[in-house]
Amino acid sequence: MEPLMGMGVLALMGAAATIAGTTEDLESDVGSQSNPNSQVQLAPQMMYPHRIYNKAISGEPPSNALICAIGGTVASVLMTAGLSVIFAIAIGALIATAVHGTYCITAYMGRTASQKRFRQPIYLDILRSHTPVMMGYAFITTFCILVVSYIMVAVLAHPFPLTLLAFIWGITVGAIGSSTGDVHYGAEREFQNVEFGSGLNAANSGNIVRKAESGLRNGIDNSWFCAKFGGPVTGLAFGMTVFLSGWVTAVFNPALSLTMGWLSVAAGVILVLLMIIWNRKIEVAARKAFGPYKEEEEVAA
Amino acid sequence: MIDVAGIIAENILYIAMVTLGGMLISWSVHFVPVGGAPAAMAQATGIGTGTVQLAAGAGLTGLVAAGAVMAVSDSFALVIASGAVGAMIMIAVTMIVATWVYVYGVGVPPASAKVDYDPITKDRQDIYVSQGTEGHGLPTVSFVSGVIGGALGGLGGAVIYYSLMSTSTTLSQSDLVALASIFAVGIFFVNAVIPSYNIGGTIEGFHDPKFKKWPKAVLASFVATLMCAFVGILTIGGL
Repeated sequence: MEPLMGMGVLALMGAAATIAGTTEDLESDVGSQSNPNSQVQLAPQMMYPHRIYNKAISGEPPSNALICAIGGTVASVLMTAGLSVIFAIAIGALIATAVHGTYCITAYMGRTASQKRFRQPIYLDILRSHTPVMMGYAFITTFCILVVSYIMVAVLAHPFPLTLLAFIWGITVGAIGSSTGDVHYGAEREFQNVEFGSGLNAANSGNIVRKAESGLRNGIDNSWFCAKFGGPVTGLAFGMTVFLSGWVTAVFNPALSLTMGWLSVAAGVILVLLMIIWNRKIEVAARKAFGPYKEEEEVAA
Repeated sequence: MIDVAGIIAENILYIAMVTLGGMLISWSVHFVPVGGAPAAMAQATGIGTGTVQLAAGAGLTGLVAAGAVMAVSDSFALVIASGAVGAMIMIAVTMIVATWVYVYGVGVPPASAKVDYDPITKDRQDIYVSQGTEGHGLPTVSFVSGVIGGALGGLGGAVIYYSLMSTSTTLSQSDLVALASIFAVGIFFVNAVIPSYNIGGTIEGFHDPKFKKWPKAVLASFVATLMCAFVGILTIGGL
């Protein structure tokens, strides 16, 4: 393939991955999936009943891998039957979304019903208003990941089957979403009642913010806040992963010669070294800007 | 009738390599700084997700890269190096973005609670840990440890994939790729789960006292992967 064409394809994949990453994180913020869910689950037990959607179908990576694999399987079958690619991917994503919606409802009902003894009500209006939002986000995530996987198979001639690629990218997007965007939800949005940057004392566990900018806070309020930072950076992280891991082999194509292959490895290592330095720069700047929490006193090294 | 002894004798090297790959993955997971749910609440140092999930996310990204390179090159060294680099890129990107969130979104400096001084930068750590937490964010030592973990995990996954792909079989190429990649993913998960019993939710990296427990997990992985290798090679070789 022409190098310029390869870069164009890669840019398209990066863009689709960025959207997938963003919607994956926002979906988990609306439904409070993954790690910050531990606080939402704990709150009623600490006598803080709330109106936040409480579903943790599983960890985010398996949950996203499931919907992407379902979407990929359906899309593959439809493509084998001779349907157009866009139609097949859209129908695949739609069926995956329906499965996801079912899990969302059973997770919310089951989890909340088990908290009856802590006087946590099941809000049917929350169920009706939030579930379609999550299904919408899940549809976009699945669709974009199927687009990335399809481009890899059809254009970049990746040997893995479409469904397996969708499964792997589903695991990866979930791992990235729960490592980056969820921190913004779990450490900041749920605990806006403590001073910014003061850290979250373990003694505050369960004492999540339950009042919103207007009225009582729900999952959609949380996604409104996280859409300003947590969601987009998750998208950037997944987009960067897909783009950079393909970029090194697009620029230095291992198919041309062994030397090019080793140059692609070297380029990847240099990128990683740059990120280590970047992290160090941020670390130093943060230590300087925020300062220590305690007075400095000498300890044995 | 499948000639079990014949297949094993013919592919004994690949069985050994798959087992080695599994042990590498098991070792690699100990390097990855994960803090689980507490880290997602900025209450523990490391990346805010589960051990298995992150190691799998990184290692499988490496597997995708290794698969792409193996389709165009037969150099064993290049295939496994590409796997390592793919995984390193995924984990480094995840960690740098997590640092943005901790510093700009949550407002806490990266700090380790397990050591008073960062072994790499020699920076004081304990006074930067906020009250009532076990550290937060990714100090340089954890970041470097995570990159090493990603590299080893990607290496292990790629070694397994390469070995399964090289097994002598009469399968067509596309069926072989599908079977080998699914076995590689499965063996990856087995070996990502075993070390989580050592880690117990949180580990900061190679400077964490829990890291010293790795030989037990690697031994357990040796036994588990050996059995997986027999099943995988027999399935692929017998078809």
